[in-house]
Amino acid sequence: MPPRRQPTRQVQTNKNAPDAEVIAMRAKRHLDELERSNYLEESSGQFEADKDEESVKTTKGRVLISDRRLAMLDGGRRKKSTHDVRSAVLYRKNLATLIDESGIADLPASIPTYLTAVVASPQEPSRVLCSVCGYWGSYKCMKCAMAYCDINCRSVHDETRCERRI
Amino acid sequence: MKQPVVVLENGASKIKVGVVNASTSVASQDLQRVFPNAIIKSKGDKRTFYGADFEECKDCSGLNYRLPFEKGYLTDWDAQKAIWDGVLRHEFLGIDPHEASVLVTEPYFNLPNIQDTYDQFMFEEYEFAAYYRSTPAAFLPHGQLFKVRGLPSPECILVVDAGFSFTHVVPLINGVIEWSAVKRIDVGGKLLTNHLKELVSYRQWNMMDETHVMNDVKESCCYVSQDFATDLETCRRNTRVNAIVREYILPDFSLNKRGRVRKPGEMLLDSHQILYMGNERFSIPEVLFHPSYLGLQQAGLAAAVAQSIALLPEELQDMFWANIGLVGGSVKFPGFAQRLMSELRPLAPSDQEVVIYESKDAVLEAYRSAVAFACSVRFRDCVVTREEYLESGPAACRVRFADWKGASDIGKGKGRARVDESDDESSQVTQTRTVKTRTRVVAGVKRR
Repeated sequence: MPPRRQPTRQVQTNKNAPDAEVIAMRAKRHLDELERSNYLEESSGQFEADKDEESVKTTKGRVLISDRRLAMLDGGRRKKSTHDVRSAVLYRKNLATLIDESGIADLPASIPTYLTAVVASPQEPSRVLCSVCGYWGSYKCMKCAMAYCDINCRSVHDETRCERRI
Repeated sequence: MKQPVVVLENGASKIKVGVVNASTSVASQDLQRVFPNAIIKSKGDKRTFYGADFEECKDCSGLNYRLPFEKGYLTDWDAQKAIWDGVLRHEFLGIDPHEASVLVTEPYFNLPNIQDTYDQFMFEEYEFAAYYRSTPAAFLPHGQLFKVRGLPSPECILVVDAGFSFTHVVPLINGVIEWSAVKRIDVGGKLLTNHLKELVSYRQWNMMDETHVMNDVKESCCYVSQDFATDLETCRRNTRVNAIVREYILPDFSLNKRGRVRKPGEMLLDSHQILYMGNERFSIPEVLFHPSYLGLQQAGLAAAVAQSIALLPEELQDMFWANIGLVGGSVKFPGFAQRLMSELRPLAPSDQEVVIYESKDAVLEAYRSAVAFACSVRFRDCVVTREEYLESGPAACRVRFADWKGASDIGKGKGRARVDESDDESSQVTQTRTVKTRTRVVAGVKRR
């Protein structure tokens, strides 16, 4: 009889690992959060006196903060702003819209712009820090791919924020 | 026609503003003001502070910020107008805009549509008599940063501007920015403060709303480590008691209005709330040198400097290595210049001299240089007057203030031949010319 063979050992893979896209999206969302000015959204409760509101409403009923301030400063003496200034103040565009409108993406490659001026990717491979304590993150969580350094930090991570930061 | 000049450095974090008195041609120091460029709502004081009013704020907890700048560019004109109305009025600065010139700073690679709005505001809303707009680095050759006793000012300088929204590496040849070699890292003071808020909120106290307090903590406790790995080990062994840990006493609303770092041997009362700053002290500023720690796929500051210099003409590269200047709030971390030098040294050729110039006050350096420029004779030739603007519209400014757009006319407006400005200092001239340096003359440098 031929010698008994063991079944071929399976390679250990982490079948539940999140794929690279999910991780990239999570990193991007984290970076966008880091650009926020305030953690909470704008509070709806305003504590300015309402008696100023009526005089400073625009045609659509919105109250501009610059108008409100001018009312406080001058007490009503306000000259008419020009059309350009008025529309810049009324219609607030975010940076992505402004970049599209400026057309810098369509310029020939010889002209340096905001989009081309960003520094290149790092040459050396990146290291990560433990998300719990800040030491080197040598290991990654199996479920959510966040880094930790040792068993204690892993248990803290599992209890507090595994998979919550998606 | 000598008029007072309002120098308005419009930063994303702070506005630095002052008036240069034309008759004495010296900036009056007492008129110089620095205050946050934000509309701040305080729940404790139940008040909204616009810019300079913020000094009156007593309760600095739970402040809600509204910043006109988004990712480094001015997008919220409503908020900016509200802040500027208080600054540029007669009573605040003591001048009448109709008879004054204004000098405004803009971010690097400012978008053409935003630039038009700057021009519209200055001429149409505030009605200044003359106006000049440029980036902060362009003023630095007029300032004190690179001045060494006994030597002429360098022709080729490399400016590292580490600000609130991002960090730029800006090379200048003969006072003109070489735009094709400008590099940007999207890490700034705002990102560092928010990152610190997140770490502390996870590990100790929930400080996600306390931007002002955490900014204070960052500025008082954080430093740039010269050896990141060793410092990490020091903090690893005993997290609460080691050579690096500092205890920060948080402000409360009765005893101490401002937080402070606990001095060694200082007694702690029960009412004091303590924030332990261990490896956060140096791992926050480390992001400037390794943005990959945050998942941002951009190289660090030293690599950015090397990339920028590699894009410059070969014969001039060694002059740039020898004239690196640091400005901006984020360079004020202790140990910054030393760490940058130790990271740059292996990246430069081994026989190359690498010199880094630091400023005594990195936040005000660009402002002071702008003041020096405003006092100089050349300023009067560079401005756009109100008559020119009313005649030719925003194209007058677009053509006169040469910046990254170079010779092409981008943005709305008909294609316009370039106005011939033979005496305009900042025009880009395509001709060979010699560049004098401190040690030698390099001939035949072709400029774009």
